[in-house]
Amino acid sequence: MLAYSLPSDISPSTFVNTASLVRIVALGLISAAAISSRLFAVVNFESIIHEFDPWFNYRATRVLASKGFYEFWNWFDPTAWYPLGRVVGGTIYPGLMATSGVIYNILHALNLPVDIRNICVLLAPGFSAFTAWATYMFTKEMKDESAGLLAAAFIGIVPGYISRSVAGSYDNEAIAIFLLMFTFYAWIKALKTGSALFGTIAALFYFYMVAAWGGYAFITNMIPLHAFVLLLMGRYTNRLYVAYCSWYAIGTLSSMQVPFVGFQPVRTSEHMAALGIFGLLQIVAFAQLIRSHVTSKQFQDLLFVSVISAAVLGMAAMVLLTYKGWIAPWTGRFYSLWDTGYAKKYIPIIASVSEHQPTAWPSFFMDLHMLTFLFPFGVLVLFRTLRDEHVFVIIYAVMGTYFAGVMVRLMLTLTPCVCVASAVGLSQLIDTFMDPREPDVGEEEEKEDGSSTTATPSKKAAKKEKNAAPVTGVGAIDDIVSTLSIAGGLEKDKSAKAKTGIFGLDTRMVVLFNTAAMLLFFVLHCTWVTSNAYSSPSVVLASSNPDGSQHIIDDFREAYYWLRMNTKEDAVVMSWWDYGYQIAGMADRVTLVDNNTWNNTHIATVGKAMSSPEEVAYPILRKHDVDYVLVIFGGLIGYSGDDINKFLWMVRIAQGVWPDEIQEPNYFTQQGEYRVDDQASKAMKDSLMYKMSYYRFAELFGGGQVVDRVRQQYLPKQGPTLDYLDEAFTSENWIVRIFQVKKEDLLGRDLKSANGFAQGKKRKRSKPPVKRRVLA
Amino acid sequence: MFRIWRVLLLILSLAILSYARSSTGNSLLVVLDPSLSKDNYSIFFKGLEEQGYELTFRAPKDVTPAIIQDGIASFAHVILFTPETKTYAKDIVPQALVDLLSKNTNVIFALGSKQTPLTSLASEFSLILPPPGTPLISHFPERDTPATVVPIPVSFPSPALTSGLSPVWYSGIPFALGNNPLLVPFLNAPSESFAADTTEDSGADAIVDAAERGGEGLWAGKDMSVVTGFQTIDGGRALFVGGIELFSDEFAKKEVTKGVKSGNAQFARDVAAWTFQESLVLRVDGSTHHKVNETQPGDKYTTNDHVVYSTHISKYNPTTCTWEPFSGLTDMQLEFTMLDPHIRTSLPPVQGKPGEYSVTFRIPDRHGVFKFVVDYKRKGWTHLHSSTTVPVVPPRHDEYPRFLSAAWPYYVGAISTSAGFVIFSVLWLAGDDRGSRRRKGAKAE
Repeated sequence: MLAYSLPSDISPSTFVNTASLVRIVALGLISAAAISSRLFAVVNFESIIHEFDPWFNYRATRVLASKGFYEFWNWFDPTAWYPLGRVVGGTIYPGLMATSGVIYNILHALNLPVDIRNICVLLAPGFSAFTAWATYMFTKEMKDESAGLLAAAFIGIVPGYISRSVAGSYDNEAIAIFLLMFTFYAWIKALKTGSALFGTIAALFYFYMVAAWGGYAFITNMIPLHAFVLLLMGRYTNRLYVAYCSWYAIGTLSSMQVPFVGFQPVRTSEHMAALGIFGLLQIVAFAQLIRSHVTSKQFQDLLFVSVISAAVLGMAAMVLLTYKGWIAPWTGRFYSLWDTGYAKKYIPIIASVSEHQPTAWPSFFMDLHMLTFLFPFGVLVLFRTLRDEHVFVIIYAVMGTYFAGVMVRLMLTLTPCVCVASAVGLSQLIDTFMDPREPDVGEEEEKEDGSSTTATPSKKAAKKEKNAAPVTGVGAIDDIVSTLSIAGGLEKDKSAKAKTGIFGLDTRMVVLFNTAAMLLFFVLHCTWVTSNAYSSPSVVLASSNPDGSQHIIDDFREAYYWLRMNTKEDAVVMSWWDYGYQIAGMADRVTLVDNNTWNNTHIATVGKAMSSPEEVAYPILRKHDVDYVLVIFGGLIGYSGDDINKFLWMVRIAQGVWPDEIQEPNYFTQQGEYRVDDQASKAMKDSLMYKMSYYRFAELFGGGQVVDRVRQQYLPKQGPTLDYLDEAFTSENWIVRIFQVKKEDLLGRDLKSANGFAQGKKRKRSKPPVKRRVLA
Repeated sequence: MFRIWRVLLLILSLAILSYARSSTGNSLLVVLDPSLSKDNYSIFFKGLEEQGYELTFRAPKDVTPAIIQDGIASFAHVILFTPETKTYAKDIVPQALVDLLSKNTNVIFALGSKQTPLTSLASEFSLILPPPGTPLISHFPERDTPATVVPIPVSFPSPALTSGLSPVWYSGIPFALGNNPLLVPFLNAPSESFAADTTEDSGADAIVDAAERGGEGLWAGKDMSVVTGFQTIDGGRALFVGGIELFSDEFAKKEVTKGVKSGNAQFARDVAAWTFQESLVLRVDGSTHHKVNETQPGDKYTTNDHVVYSTHISKYNPTTCTWEPFSGLTDMQLEFTMLDPHIRTSLPPVQGKPGEYSVTFRIPDRHGVFKFVVDYKRKGWTHLHSSTTVPVVPPRHDEYPRFLSAAWPYYVGAISTSAGFVIFSVLWLAGDDRGSRRRKGAKAE
């Protein structure tokens, strides 16, 4: 008995063909939606590289495109981390640049002279289409094509992924998520088929992933974990052995070809799980071999002894190797994954990055919307069947959720899993309510028996419907959807489901309309979040005028352009490390520290200079040949991401290296408040950062009350004075202020008294140095 | 015909005369207080004119010629013979005088015992002047001049001064020198001299009391200086003289002892020559660096490269008015610096190549942005500073050795595994197949 009638005069091949055509069209539309929703940034602003890290990637890509791969590989950048320099080739993941370089060369070989910048800007949206496809393939392996399409649609527009892949967000994550999903897909495929070919494909994409993103360690641990869980569940098969060994051997060897990774896969703790599982699999495989040759009793004794000895030996080896320093101990970034307070205590430089903060609850909803609650349901659905590949998604869900809770940026790795699980769940829901069969025990069972003998699932479904449904005019789409859903995933549950089900059309309609409405809201939410929250380049800021029109605040580029045009080509610019890549990319000047935070001491040096009084900071500046100091000041326009708000991190990082000279409590008031007004502490008021930020700020207010709009505090009318620095440039909205470091005084005085002299202050009469005491 | 030759000769001699002795220019402004007569210093001024300086005289209150016009110094050198002048025209303020030095103009300051703008300026140069009205006094050696006119033997041998100078007559104030390495003392007060406002013996107790109360001790002894040069960081030179009488004709002609003329004239010429950048003037003509066995300078070096650094130094010769290669520096050093010197080595002169200094060294095994720094600072001499930035990079990917003897275990391992795989394959394909077929055949039978 059916809730609604289905056409019966359609041949099975028509069903299959139409279904695949619809799938292709749907995938095409999903890709188009994924790409176009990421173009808000270009439409609202312009084709520009966003934020901080992308500026370096862009600069590196230009080097790669202009000088070729070998020069890029050997690139030593003397303008970064002055005067230490940076061995770029050995300290980056070159996958992203190499990808753009290849695209650039292909396009130019085809006589399409596309600017390298546009390739960089549009790379992330382009790869999001690939991600949608890879997610489709992956989810198809989990359930069926319809779930795959849903997952592709989710990943295409979900804000959690868009946040890292809008046009212009030229970062490693842009291609890494595609590689992550495709590696997982190949792994699942290899596991299912036991194919060394797919294992090799997984390894090759793993290599690409290693070359592209430091997050590859996630794959390095996910796949062994999956294999291990399968072993524990007693699901060892030769397919698992083939898949894992081909992936691990080829993947590890190829990943060691990336200079930045080098010998890490055999020497650091993060990679030990993969190696350990590899060894364990050999043992298990060997045990299987033995078992097929000896009796059960002998085997059990043998197993007992060998398991004990292997465990003892393995542990001893690990301890010894770690103790000897052959295996590097866990890194700080790794510890901070387990103990959220760790970074703040021991490595402030990691904690100071906003995307390393623990995730706030609202951001889960912001990034995932309804997927937040579809996700657990999807996991539940996966538990019901629990094939090998489902175990993978379940583990992924657990790990991904934990890491996303610890660090904001790891929301990105959770998102694909959420999309997959939600899609499986939602597709299960739709399947159930789309299924035209009504629970009518007797008839259904007969039908099942009759149809289950046919060969292919789709044919079987089609045939069954042909049998069941009389010819009536029902919407073709409904038909196909139900066909697909029945064809794909439900065969296994069929006998169980036959007794339960949905009665009538109205109940179906209520649920389905609700689902459709939810999906609609999801789309609305995603579009809104994308256009409002995630499409700002952060290099260019936007505010709205009273009449609602957009007002562009372009202080950063104004200041960087000033630097580019008005300073010596080898001028050294000191700023907090956030702006290092931008200065290098846009102003093309030498920087002391940048967003590649590899040298904590160097950053602490800058922090010390910023948080010390002028006369202490000056020798540091001179020693590092600093010509200009750049600060970001938002007090005039209300830009909250300015240096005064980041100042405590500078103090903390400097304190980590010079605990005797810089102490964080000194920068708070007696009451323990962080203030910049006349109650500010002495250390705060004397610090170079404070002085540079508020230098001549009071003059703007013409004797009126001096307000800092970010901190909502009233500043003293007498502003700070500078003796060792000269104001060189202040941008239109005062966001960027550049100060020039004065040369040593001509007459060998300290610059403070030299400045006093220049302003006409009388010096106190000094006394000659007394070399001996006068006799009384 | 003869007349024409004479005219030509005259023109030639004039041309030579107008050719400056100084390395920086020949225009010289003398700011002369109206109370002083130009004729009293005729020996000094004439000497300068003979050397080729174009003297322009101006009173402190004159408006023209301005010392700085539109931000550019109008003269190459300035002499301020205004020891007692309290008010100047608007363009001469202490700040402008320091500004002059920054524009590489050289200045001679004559100080007096009164409180003037110049005395307060002197403290900016780390000179510590005694209270106003306290000239240098010495009762030794016994002589017929007042106690304030002191013969000072030139005991402080500076390379700028002619050796074997007779004592110099001096009348004026002494000053203490602050702890500033840019000061170049030329003439120190005699050990027996002191500064006081009275020459009477009866006032001696009062002087000692005042010294104690002031907590300054007695302004006395040979640590006081009377003529001190100052070389700014940029190389501009200034000279402080505690009493203008030093330059006067009277002191120049006065005999120190019977038959021995004072050294004043020569001393004045020597210190003026130093101040006007005639003597002890050096410059770095250029410096190059290249790898050993190469000639072109590299734009970057690889760690552990052997490099040659050479620099060329000239000294100004005031008699010929030319820059001549100078190999006389024996204590010059080269530093190879990144934050701190990684290598500090002597930079000796090259035999047979005048003016050339060269050293070969191995770049440390450390990549980064290094600087070749030559920083030669000696009192009186022009400070030599030369800094060349060069990146030192790690070896390229193809510059490492291909085969390592230490890696033989790995080579052997790889080769034996490959060989084993081939042998295994051969055995598997050839041997096992036949065996199984035979077994199959046996079963079938």
